[in-house]
Amino acid sequence: MSRDVNAPATAHAEAAQEAERDHANPFSAIAIFLLPALIVYAAFTALPVARTFYNSTHLIVPNRPAEWVGFTHYVELWSDQMFWKAVWNTLTWAAVAPVLEVSIATLLALALYAKVPFSRFLRVAWFTPVLMSYVVVGILWMWIYNFDWGALNALLRAVGLGDWARPWLGHPDTALPALIAVTTWMWTGFNMVVILAAMSSLPSEVLEAAELDNCGWLAKLWFVILPLIRPTLLNLVVLSFIGKMKIFDLVWVTTQGNPLWATETVSTYVYKRAFQWRTFDLGYPSTIAVIWFVIVLAGVLGLTFLFRQRDRLEY
Amino acid sequence: MATARPSSVFISPASLKMGALVVFIALYTAYSSGPFVWVAMMSLRTTTEIAADPYALPWPLHWEKFASAWTDSNYDAYFVNSVTVVLAAVAILTVIGGMAAHCFARYRFRFRGVLYFVIFSTIIFPPQVTVIGLFQILVEYGLYNSRVGLVLVYVSIQLPITIYILEAFFARIPNDLFDAARIDGYSEWSIFWRIALPVALPAISTTIILNTILLWNEFLYAVVLITEDDKRTLPLGVLRFMGDQLEDVGMIATGLMIAIVPVVLIYVFFSERLIQGMTAGAVK
Repeated sequence: MSRDVNAPATAHAEAAQEAERDHANPFSAIAIFLLPALIVYAAFTALPVARTFYNSTHLIVPNRPAEWVGFTHYVELWSDQMFWKAVWNTLTWAAVAPVLEVSIATLLALALYAKVPFSRFLRVAWFTPVLMSYVVVGILWMWIYNFDWGALNALLRAVGLGDWARPWLGHPDTALPALIAVTTWMWTGFNMVVILAAMSSLPSEVLEAAELDNCGWLAKLWFVILPLIRPTLLNLVVLSFIGKMKIFDLVWVTTQGNPLWATETVSTYVYKRAFQWRTFDLGYPSTIAVIWFVIVLAGVLGLTFLFRQRDRLEY
Repeated sequence: MATARPSSVFISPASLKMGALVVFIALYTAYSSGPFVWVAMMSLRTTTEIAADPYALPWPLHWEKFASAWTDSNYDAYFVNSVTVVLAAVAILTVIGGMAAHCFARYRFRFRGVLYFVIFSTIIFPPQVTVIGLFQILVEYGLYNSRVGLVLVYVSIQLPITIYILEAFFARIPNDLFDAARIDGYSEWSIFWRIALPVALPAISTTIILNTILLWNEFLYAVVLITEDDKRTLPLGVLRFMGDQLEDVGMIATGLMIAIVPVVLIYVFFSERLIQGMTAGAVK
């Protein structure tokens, strides 16, 4: 503070006033700018999250006060076969889809990077699926997988592989892979656009140096381009992983977890237990949500740590 | 394919590689855009025509199906609900998200880093962890089954990414601009409203377009928080129509197109901005 102060008591008041009059960071302006966002955040994000954590140790039945049940729900969850099935399905999805999306997207981005003709049109055609609502996408793909007149089976029959035709979403073995193909269809174009942006911003000197060294295109790709865009690729993997851990809409529209829980995800299971099964207890589904929250958090932190770790080892 | 041709003797390795590339691109393009072409064709054909041959060209064009989907199947109500809810949410988001982002970028204050981290970290929260609590809270507030409640929820779920995108942009505006404004006697609010916002217009429009599309497609919160038919948004309406008219494929296809077209129009007119918004979180 630039001003001299005489007594400690007034110094305190003066400091507060000084802060008030701090021209660069006026407290009142900060409060006004931040309050609306903080209120919305507190009321519709923080409070619900806290409520869910509170629910998880209570029996929540309509028209009765919440009843403390300790960690009963958590114990029950441990032996809930359907929950573990849902976890397994979701983890499979979250492990397979990012790899498929990012690897296919890299190939597509390379094609555009190599300046194939019609690249503008191709970019639009590949990117568009991600703009669709999962409801639209789900209905559309239910038709494509339809046994009698779906496009996939029609195609198989047309090329003489009629034996392979099957109700893709109706069989426990094919339902989950079929849905993974749908998310891959949706998200690959998005990943491609991000990767292409990363490739386009590569320093041209490095690429020219590689060419001067008479580097083949495969070697150039493997030793120059991919290492340089690695941070982007890893980011996309994490992003896709988070998205798949949340997946609900697509499953809900197409299979609702059927057949035989083959496509049950944690999200659909929580929804069913909370709003569909008429058990009227919101405590148990909240427990699932809390556990899942912890697992997602651990997964994201784990992936980030893993990728960091590898960086450190390599360089 | 190229390899089956008798003249393959004359094909050099280079053109073979080229051929493989072309085949790969063609296959992927068919996979990614084929479904749209199919649903667009079906949306202009009647269900009887589709039953006869699901893959024939749409001829004659049944444009009247759009009119009848609009009037007979309650799509007008769903569409209007979606438009109101999304526009209201995006308007509120832009203003309060912009204010918060401006504040984070412009001022130094206690707990700034903590607050920013807390808000931003919600991006990775799975929605289940909020949706049950939200359901209870909205019932208690009397906002369950109300469009106002849905708007507020939409604001809260898109707030972190909006603040994130805008903060990054606001932080890049040179401070001299604000100092000059202050010397000219601008208040803190008019600095935000008349200088920061206009300068940040590219980023603002990016978030507007991104939020519009994501909320237009939103399903989980809507299905939990809205149960009355006259308050349903378009995704819920399409699904309900699908449940009611399972066999009426032609009409459902028309309904799907009604949901798709606005998004495609936004994409056609604002593709660069939209791509910027969608990729903002992914590229560092």
